[in-house]
Amino acid sequence: MTAGEKKEYWRWEESCWTDDSKNWRDAKIITAGIDVGSVSSQAVVCVDGELYGYNSMRTGNSSPDSATNALKGVLEKSGMTLTDITYVIGTGYGRVNVPFAHKAITEIACHARGANYMGGNSIRTILDMGGQDCKAIHCDEKGKVTNFLMNDKCAAGTGRGMEVIADLMQIPIAELGARSFDVDEEPQAVSSTCVVFAKSEALGLLKAGYSKNKVIAAYCQAMAERVVSLIERIGVEDKFFITGGIAKNTGVVRRIEKLLGTKAAETKYDSQIAGALGAALFGYTLMQKQGAAAAKAAA
Amino acid sequence: MSANLDGLFDQFKYWYEKRHDYARDWKARTGGRIAATMCTYTPEEILIAAGMLPVRVLGAHEPQNVTEPHIFGMFCPFCRDSLAQGLLGRYDYADGVTLTQSCIQYRQTFTSWREHVPTVKWDYYLPMPNEVQSRFARTLQYAEVKKFRSFMEGVIDKPITDDDLNRALSVVNENRRLLRELFEYRKETNPRVNGVEALYASLTAQFVDKAEHNAELKRVLSELPKRKQDRPEGVRFMTIGSENDDVSFMAMVESVGSTIVIDDQCSGTRYFWNEARLQDDPIAAIADRYCERPACPTKDYPLHTRYDHVLKLAKDYNARAAVFLQQKFCDPHEGDYPDLKEHLEQNGIPTLFLEFDITNPLGPFRIRIEAFLETLSEEELF
Repeated sequence: MTAGEKKEYWRWEESCWTDDSKNWRDAKIITAGIDVGSVSSQAVVCVDGELYGYNSMRTGNSSPDSATNALKGVLEKSGMTLTDITYVIGTGYGRVNVPFAHKAITEIACHARGANYMGGNSIRTILDMGGQDCKAIHCDEKGKVTNFLMNDKCAAGTGRGMEVIADLMQIPIAELGARSFDVDEEPQAVSSTCVVFAKSEALGLLKAGYSKNKVIAAYCQAMAERVVSLIERIGVEDKFFITGGIAKNTGVVRRIEKLLGTKAAETKYDSQIAGALGAALFGYTLMQKQGAAAAKAAA
Repeated sequence: MSANLDGLFDQFKYWYEKRHDYARDWKARTGGRIAATMCTYTPEEILIAAGMLPVRVLGAHEPQNVTEPHIFGMFCPFCRDSLAQGLLGRYDYADGVTLTQSCIQYRQTFTSWREHVPTVKWDYYLPMPNEVQSRFARTLQYAEVKKFRSFMEGVIDKPITDDDLNRALSVVNENRRLLRELFEYRKETNPRVNGVEALYASLTAQFVDKAEHNAELKRVLSELPKRKQDRPEGVRFMTIGSENDDVSFMAMVESVGSTIVIDDQCSGTRYFWNEARLQDDPIAAIADRYCERPACPTKDYPLHTRYDHVLKLAKDYNARAAVFLQQKFCDPHEGDYPDLKEHLEQNGIPTLFLEFDITNPLGPFRIRIEAFLETLSEEELF
């Protein structure tokens, strides 16, 4: 880094992955889910109802462009074209602005469906900790939403707040979780998860002699307390699953688990793709049913 | 959008959007006086008999910075917004202001109004009993309505006769009857009257001259049998709560796959649902009517009569689900919410809870409404 160059500590790792063990050209039905969130956008491609590839990147200033760029990553990596994809579903805040989507479904339904795939059909409670909001969701064994709650207008205690803290502490965002446990004693939560107030409170704590790690621990604890109050309103039924970018922050996740007295289900998948994955899976089911209906009509 | 394009309800919409212009115009052309009213428990018949135009104070759903010195920030947004409108001079045509006792937060709005809105020349607080189920309530309410009549006689400096009261009862009852007729259309499959239109009609009744409102209702009712519905019905919703005049919210709800078919709100059915039973003594007719109307939570104890009333409305209008529109910090409604929610859900009416503020975030609300709709359908996705 040269002098005067500003390092972006908040910048989380964008990722693009395809399953090279699968040959998409053999697939009967290829579907895509595009989740255009307030902070990140994901494209997931499923072949015959199985995860094939995804791309996760930061949302730009245009929802259609973000959707296009997200999908472009998977297409380029796989050699696929848009015409190879039978059905596309948009989700997230920009769901109605996905130019090539056939249908829009809310991220609440899509996260539940995605969690059902990622964590198995015993998942009943989902906490989606996104960039600017947080949702507690109950679902049935099929991943259908039975109840949900969202935080109010304020984006306090969400992914964007964690990005601000990363920049303030000048510590890469991916390191915050581990750093939050490297403290001599667990501090009290900061009194506000409001992004603005937390920033000034964090500065005050630093001046008062707190180490950076201890400030991060205090913020992680505050964030955990805030989402736990939301999820307790809806009730926690096992198994419990966390989606969204914050699910990668062990500092918040372990503290949520401690407050709830239950462990979040583990997954081998990237927690950020849950919404787009759910959308792609919905697309697959719709196509299957349409195919079955067409076959029945032809018979 | 949910609104029909035939313009049938345009007059109501115009009145709603230009309500202050309407009131000023009414005053100029009739020479009459205007009473700002708070709470739909206000016996409008007395004001109408006194030759006045009762105008219910509504909010503007705009950010404001004038109420902080006068009312707690944790009082309900409707109370704060209503006070803001007074402090901002939006009701400068109102000669007086009156409140009938409902909740303590509204009372603070009224108190500040009468002290800090300089154009107010008179004010009257009507201490209607909250325990309307008490055997003493009717006697007390009778005495209070009688006192209100005497006070208004002092304001206009002439007697209000029984004939004046009977004429007022007649025109207000007609308004209630016509609104019920209009709302009957909402029972239909794919109703000819949607929620936004019904809201325009019931809200404007609260500040437009009743005779003019009745004439417009009759015109609309005469046209409705011929009306063709041009929008998909979607899921039939009921709305529940205190006051709601957030038309853009209602339009959003009806634009994403639903029709609002009935409500239990004071901006809707609670305002006009029951007529006054005419009696020899018009004061008794007026007093009894307000004790008998569908209850607001502030006046619904020890028995919770509104739980069955709300359920009956939902069933009569074939509502598939109900949306609670909770004004933030509205304690009476929030107190009823858990039991009412349970009552509805046990009887097959799923519910969604939304918390309203002076301004509402339509985007996040839209996600909630759409997600709620998805829980009610979308079987083809599984």
